[in-house]
Amino acid sequence: MDTRELLTHLEKLECGLDSFSFSELKSTEASKLKESFEAFKSGLEEKVFGIPTEDSVKVETSKWENHIFQESRLVANVSHEIRTPLNGIIGFLDLLKETRLTTQQQELVNAMGSASKNLLGVINQLLELSALAAGQGKFEKVSFNPANLINEVSFLCKTLINGKQVELLVHYDEDIPKYLLGDPSKLSQVLLNLTGNAIKFVEKGEIRLDVHLKEERNKKVFLEFVVSDTGIGIANEHLKHIFESYRQAEPNTKLKYGGSGLGLSIVKEIIEKQHGCLAVSSTLGVGTTFKVILPFEKVQVHKSNASKIRKRTTVDVSGKSILVLEDDALTQKLMENRLEQWGCKAYITENGLFGLHLLENHNIDLLLLDMHLPGMDGFEIVHRIRKNSRFKHLPIIVLSGDASSKQQEAFEKLGINDFILKPYNSEELLEKIYNTSKQMEQQQDEVVLEQGEREKETVQIVNLNPVMEECLGKTELLDELIRLFEQNILEFIGKTKMHLQSRNIQGVGFAAHKIKSSLKMLHANELIQVCEEMILECRTGNDLDRLKTLFEEFITEYPKVEMAIGLELKRIKYKL
Amino acid sequence: MPKRRLLLAEDDHMLASLLKYRLERDGYEVILEYDGKAVKEKLQGEIPDVVISDIMMPYFSGIELVDHLRNSLKSDVPIILISAASNDENIVSAFEMGANDFISKPVSPSELLARVSREIKRHYCT
Repeated sequence: MDTRELLTHLEKLECGLDSFSFSELKSTEASKLKESFEAFKSGLEEKVFGIPTEDSVKVETSKWENHIFQESRLVANVSHEIRTPLNGIIGFLDLLKETRLTTQQQELVNAMGSASKNLLGVINQLLELSALAAGQGKFEKVSFNPANLINEVSFLCKTLINGKQVELLVHYDEDIPKYLLGDPSKLSQVLLNLTGNAIKFVEKGEIRLDVHLKEERNKKVFLEFVVSDTGIGIANEHLKHIFESYRQAEPNTKLKYGGSGLGLSIVKEIIEKQHGCLAVSSTLGVGTTFKVILPFEKVQVHKSNASKIRKRTTVDVSGKSILVLEDDALTQKLMENRLEQWGCKAYITENGLFGLHLLENHNIDLLLLDMHLPGMDGFEIVHRIRKNSRFKHLPIIVLSGDASSKQQEAFEKLGINDFILKPYNSEELLEKIYNTSKQMEQQQDEVVLEQGEREKETVQIVNLNPVMEECLGKTELLDELIRLFEQNILEFIGKTKMHLQSRNIQGVGFAAHKIKSSLKMLHANELIQVCEEMILECRTGNDLDRLKTLFEEFITEYPKVEMAIGLELKRIKYKL
Repeated sequence: MPKRRLLLAEDDHMLASLLKYRLERDGYEVILEYDGKAVKEKLQGEIPDVVISDIMMPYFSGIELVDHLRNSLKSDVPIILISAASNDENIVSAFEMGANDFISKPVSPSELLARVSREIKRHYCT
């Protein structure tokens, strides 16, 4: 049978597939089957007829779209993978700076720091662009105060001017509604990008940021933002390319001004995705003007919010060390400036583990925490912090975009002191910091007693008394042993995962055997049982699937044990 | 009297820390190693007064350690093995090789202390 004949048969089969009802199969299974059949067929066609031409233009386009999607997903994945360790590098460089260094070493560390920060900036932008391109860039729809937002943008931009003879003039129409519905962080990103660019390219002169109420129609409000500068200008032939990725007006722009060449393409994506429009005009040597029109929705002002009159008390938070765990670069920058303005020392990172490290090694007075961080999320961070008796009373304020009562309840359970809804203004932030620190200082003693009461009720998942006796009452040693225990568990989990993947049953048995004795020291009876079953399975059953199930059981049970250990430790230390 | 030197070979850092603390508190000098290879290297230099080793160790098991001490290094240093109780076969072969004593997991530090002092009395004080 020649291949053409085979194809004819396949065609018939395909027709059959189309009309056939796969009653026994689930619809997803059926469509998968059809998909793989089609892939098989087109592969065969390609081999027989060569690469398809006119007929299949449609197929080609969708393939191309798919290609873009795949590519941006790859970029997103890779960028993310790079970002996490890079954040670690930056954090630890900051720590290194605090150690005793020679002048030359200091210079080297600074150079490393600024190189890694540049790299991080590029990666963040790349990540964002790829997310936008793949249609994953999420737009929030929250109520915000546009006047506040413009104030913050201009505040931030002024910090960027840095000694240049440049003036930033802001005009804001008074008739713009006080509250709007939209995505404030995306808006400030657009404005910061455009204004930041202007500052970069203007050596001397002025930059204007004008905000007008363009139109109010039905429930929509159209705002026009105009950013104009008296800078070097952009030549006509370059103007049409400036919104393309990796394009800067002239090849030597990068050398002179730096930047990734992605800023404007992000701006364009953000605006287009929100059905706004963006225009640019420029004259060489005279200046450049960007115009943005974006739609927002009107919002019914909440009475409770609007009528809240803030007391203008002078609150002083100076001298406090504040850790900010936040992954949004803009908020980071804003926080840093605000906190420094108030005389606080700010430690800022988006890396949960590094944040915990900072907490351990510096005298931090308060934590500002964004709940959605890459890697370790806010809930886990709070859990870990509260587990450590040293940080029982650390004031924690959560920066949250979600005001639902369910979320609030969850926060309270976790032991969070207060939260601020995003977007917030700086007065609110200052007040919260002040009040929370005060409260915590006062309540400290009461809390100790209360928590003790509660913890007595926990079921004995572990029993640390015997090992405590073996430590002869030395709590530092007990702490150290628990730390090592946690390491052993991590090692066990890692090794077992690896062995299960490579079907190394003996290896699994060995690992389970090792961890069993650690578990026995802490009398973690439930996990010991799981371990024993694993060991038995390795010796006699050799059933890999059963081992996997047991291992999963272990992983599900372990957090409870870890929590119980934390509570037991506290109980022992405070002799409750 | 100078401190007795003990070599403790245990790859579980948690257990090792606890045992080290208790042994040192009772006046012993403790050299701690976490794997068989390191133990072997340590023995190249000097033989301690007592060797305490887990049977299941990376690179070089406790049984191999007994063999190495008795047959290659020709040493009669007291050896106490730590083993998971369930593994009888290993313990028998350990004694055949020349181990002096064993203690099963989970290890009670007080029991280990008693066994160590017994070995020292038996070996050095008669």
